[in-house]
Amino acid sequence: MLSTRLAGIAVLLAFGTVGPPSLVAQVGDPGAGDALGVTYEDLLQGLTDPSRWLTFSGDYSGQRHSPLTQITPENVHRLVPQWTFQTGTLTRGRGFETTPLVLDGILYVTGSNNYAWALDARTGRRFWQYRRNLPNDLTYGASAPVNRGFGMLGDRLFMVTLDAHLLALDRRTGGVLWEIELADYHVGYAATLAPLVIDGKVIVGISGGEYPTRGFLDAYDPETGDRIWRFNTIPGPGEPGSETWPPDAENLARGGGGTWMTGSYDPDLDLLYWGTGNPNPDYYDETREGANLYTNSIVAIEASTGTLRWHYQFTPHDTHDWDSNHVPVLADLMFEGEMRSVVMVANRNGFFYVLDRITGEFLLGKPFTDTTWAREIGPDGRPIILNDGSLGCLPEPWGGTNFMPPSFNPALGVMFVTARESCATYVPQEPVIEPGRNSSGGIIWIDREQGYGALRAIDVVTGERKWEFRYPQPTMAGVMTTVTGLVFAGDHDGNFMAFDADTGENLWHYQTGSRIWGAAPMTHMLDGRQYVLIPSGTTLVAFALPDDRR
Amino acid sequence: MACIALNRVFLILFIIAPLSAARILTAPLSAAPVLGAPLASPQGVNPYETDRTAIRVGRALFETRCAQCHGGDAKGISGPDLTVLWAVGTSDDRVFRTIQLGVSGSIMPSSSAPDQEIWAIVAYVKSISTVPEFENDTGDAVRGQEIFASTCANCHRVNGQGGHLGPDLTRIAAIRTREMLMRSIRDPSASVAAGYRAVTLVTEGGQRIRGAMKSEDAFSILIVDTDERLQGYLKADLQELTRGERSLMPEFGPDRLGDEELDDLLRYLGTLRGAAPARR
Repeated sequence: MLSTRLAGIAVLLAFGTVGPPSLVAQVGDPGAGDALGVTYEDLLQGLTDPSRWLTFSGDYSGQRHSPLTQITPENVHRLVPQWTFQTGTLTRGRGFETTPLVLDGILYVTGSNNYAWALDARTGRRFWQYRRNLPNDLTYGASAPVNRGFGMLGDRLFMVTLDAHLLALDRRTGGVLWEIELADYHVGYAATLAPLVIDGKVIVGISGGEYPTRGFLDAYDPETGDRIWRFNTIPGPGEPGSETWPPDAENLARGGGGTWMTGSYDPDLDLLYWGTGNPNPDYYDETREGANLYTNSIVAIEASTGTLRWHYQFTPHDTHDWDSNHVPVLADLMFEGEMRSVVMVANRNGFFYVLDRITGEFLLGKPFTDTTWAREIGPDGRPIILNDGSLGCLPEPWGGTNFMPPSFNPALGVMFVTARESCATYVPQEPVIEPGRNSSGGIIWIDREQGYGALRAIDVVTGERKWEFRYPQPTMAGVMTTVTGLVFAGDHDGNFMAFDADTGENLWHYQTGSRIWGAAPMTHMLDGRQYVLIPSGTTLVAFALPDDRR
Repeated sequence: MACIALNRVFLILFIIAPLSAARILTAPLSAAPVLGAPLASPQGVNPYETDRTAIRVGRALFETRCAQCHGGDAKGISGPDLTVLWAVGTSDDRVFRTIQLGVSGSIMPSSSAPDQEIWAIVAYVKSISTVPEFENDTGDAVRGQEIFASTCANCHRVNGQGGHLGPDLTRIAAIRTREMLMRSIRDPSASVAAGYRAVTLVTEGGQRIRGAMKSEDAFSILIVDTDERLQGYLKADLQELTRGERSLMPEFGPDRLGDEELDDLLRYLGTLRGAAPARR
């Protein structure tokens, strides 16, 4: 079942026996891509062409694991900034959360407040800037004016907007080719994720679960913007899953379940893996007795039809805003003597999960934070509650981790996760339900005396913690690994850092001057040099080893 | 520990729940004589500043309309900490207008609520940010000032005079109750403000330095040492780093400061309600 295409670098993991990385280093031929641009075949190749990073996680697997070898644990201490791009746009309360794409030496970058740019990857200088004229009565989009990146196909770039639209831009000019409305932003909808482009489809999800909205996952025609299918994350009356809600059509129509983080894809199975968000209201649950499917779940959706193949719910009947909007990480693992095709999620509820990605079967659920709410995940995959809040505070709404991408090194069998130890007490209150009005329904008291963050290495077969590196503050920055045994990560104090994947030793750090929030690094080759990029504050910074040729 | 303390707060919160938001909204504010009173005070001045009923109403309104973003304690979640507004010199009027107009480009909406309701919210948030004048003070402020000059001014400043190691106390009585100040003097380590936690470090050369920690990240630490020098260190260059939970301020128990002297000192501190240093 192992998909060589999926992993890009196909590495078999068999308890320490590591297969040789099948690296084919073919530098992209500048100019050759110009005629056709990016094809689906290119996207299937993932990171095999070292000059490219064509989709949010680098490839469909969500591993964010680069095959590039120039920067190593031995030389990473020499990494220096090459250029800084200033976006000129602030992100009130959030972060610069994008992952740039790169093709033929050009970076395609989205920013907060629906700005976007094409930049020269050598210099960080700008070819063009796009800015959407946003309405002044944004709803959810005003509270999180962020964007996580482009999707790319042919000469088109796809980007979602804070007023819940999907745009196709011409990659040469930044001009708008078409735009369509995903949902009515007045109600509470917004869109912030990086679209996922697959064969003949642009897959996008929606934000706004803090408002009376109903989540969905959509597929659009890249040529025309016509919608091909829609999967509603909250079932309609009588549909499967509706039995986990009170029989109230009005309730279901605003049940939440946002799909606001880019998912992963297995082309061989033709399955999309996507996380879903909190039920609405977030904290107040008197009106939504039951497990509230398919909120706080991962759903496996047939890409050709948009139908649900299986689902797994991490937090049944959530009352703490622990959305399950994460990048699902796909891999093939030796699990209890058997090779399994799995999907892994380090969840906002503080547990690390391994599921069979063909069937959805629960394989493993282990805590990766010390601040917890459940004693364990039972053999049936359901949490056994330890603390409903009566024993003290619970993981806070920002969670034990969050949407910031984790990274997986298949050779080590280790997932690297930004863990957050921070807790809160929840006081639910009945919200007023009306379109355009936040209906979270509660007051949160965060314990500010304690709390810290950590980069944690999790053995994915046992769920055990191999090492951690502590940050003084709970952190919202993502992670990237490379085959040379490096882990790149950011923190809330503004440090961009490199670690030894084996030991957790810090090998390099650079103070970017602003918290790194929601973003994860990416890397690519250009002119024979490996660049590593990180968004921070209002800047995008590119690092490389010193150029000894000059 | 702090969580347990918080839980106690909630119990109290639930006990006084009859003052629910729904009730307040259904019972028009104008029915309450206090809130219904016309705004006779000059424009921009909160007519409910110290009105207990209005503050109670303001609290309920705050919890339904503001707490989702600003937190139950108004110290901020996704929205900013509101309890520091007055400490940095923000006026009632400015807070009122921010609630009324919203903050453009953010989730903070404008409000069409009646002025009385907005003033009640302002009064509530201010009530948990600042404190009324000390009552039943028995000490002698002049003697208190002398004690301050000889005992405290080495580290604390008032109106531009004094040391820099501890917090500026020019308007301390506007933001701390008499009880809080008494506790801070007798047992300063019970609650240490950010930026004043004691730290001891030993440099590569073996020099031992004590100071207040101003900032820390994974790799560096910034302190003000006991000679008021700003110093930054890379953690990798230090032989030892001890982050104290304690305050740099010594404890002034009854042996060092008698009850009568404490009364005098508190009487003096109670007069310190001057302009914020940032707004001179």
